[in-house]
Amino acid sequence: MATFELYRRSTIGTCLTETLDDLVSSGAVSPELAIQVLVQFDKSMTDALESQVKSKVNIKGHLHTYRFCDNVWTFILTDATFKSEEISETLSKVKIVACDSKLLQPPHP
Amino acid sequence: MASSNVSTVYISVIDDVISKVREDFITYGVGDAVLNELQATPLQTPIQTPLPGTDTGMYNIPTGPSDYAPSPISDVRNGMAINGADPKTGRPSPYMPPPSPWMNQRPLGVDVNVAYVEGREDPDRGVQPQPLTQDFLMMSSGKRKRDEYPGQLPSGSFVPQQDGSADQIVEFIVSKENTHQLWSSIIVKQETLTQKVTPVIPQRDGIQDDYNDQFFFPGVPTEDYNTPGESAEYRAPTPAVGTPKPRNDTGEDDDEPPLNEDDDDDDELDDLEQGEDEPNTLHLVLAQFDKVTRTKNRWKCTLKDGIMHLNGRDVLFNKVCIFWSNF
Repeated sequence: MATFELYRRSTIGTCLTETLDDLVSSGAVSPELAIQVLVQFDKSMTDALESQVKSKVNIKGHLHTYRFCDNVWTFILTDATFKSEEISETLSKVKIVACDSKLLQPPHP
Repeated sequence: MASSNVSTVYISVIDDVISKVREDFITYGVGDAVLNELQATPLQTPIQTPLPGTDTGMYNIPTGPSDYAPSPISDVRNGMAINGADPKTGRPSPYMPPPSPWMNQRPLGVDVNVAYVEGREDPDRGVQPQPLTQDFLMMSSGKRKRDEYPGQLPSGSFVPQQDGSADQIVEFIVSKENTHQLWSSIIVKQETLTQKVTPVIPQRDGIQDDYNDQFFFPGVPTEDYNTPGESAEYRAPTPAVGTPKPRNDTGEDDDEPPLNEDDDDDDELDDLEQGEDEPNTLHLVLAQFDKVTRTKNRWKCTLKDGIMHLNGRDVLFNKVCIFWSNF
């Protein structure tokens, strides 16, 4: 199953990466094993978001920068308004990085 | 409510990762203790941070820099060393340690062998410095400038013989170990000769006026070649080959270091410019896109399964609709 490394940049992914980094540098864990852990994190995070999260958010704003490279969209919005059941915020600058969801749905024979 | 939801998801993710990785850990022979540590450590940081009240501090630091440089581990994956020290130590250290005072003092001795240094240090301390530098000059100049200064070398009666034979042997025949022996023997002979022929030396000085400026004051001329800094021993020979006269050397040395420094500065500036874009955007949305459409300047984007990091808080979402317009 293909996975995105996208979520490693999230808070939990960063913490995991730093922890693994410490373990690797201390010799407790081999780099190969650390990479396997990260790959598993990619899968688990994707599954969790898909299965456990149901919230919906609307965003409106001005497009400052857009870029589509290697199937990854990168947007920078200014004066973006986030609205959902949980949050309602306006932020001066937001960066959005999005991978193609179709890549996670390979044809299953 | 949001934070508890995020915490629940995060905990489930961690448990899922740990449970599925456990077999790999056992396969690799890593004990459960490490696994427990791995499980505990991420739990502490991310779970506490999303809770209301304990906000930004923990978040902003890791999320910013990790934006484009996700992990040192990715470096490992790309084939770089794990320690991280290797790429740093690799560059300067091999070049830095050897510079002996001789490297700076003989700019015209271009690719002189180690035998020069080793052989010269001992006799140098024992004998007067001037004749030795003079001898050294003769050898180095004989090596490089034989074609350029055919008339100067014969002036020293015995020196050209030694240059010719020794240089050919060093360059093409003799191995390094042998060169040490050879040069040391030559130096010993020359040492005795110079001691005997000491009154002859001033004549050689007079003939080689070009080099006299540099070697008349052994300590002073190093100024010219100290300016390049660390890489003096590498940079100095280049102008020496092209322009044998020391006057030109001085001018080129003045020109070269700024050029090199500018090059470094440019690289650093590029890095800074690249990095500047990222820290400015503290608010980050990571997601998958289903559809991105644009009609004139109206954009519509549908994202799913994403993590938003806004104002130090994590917000998970299943679906996002974004509308925006171009400026």
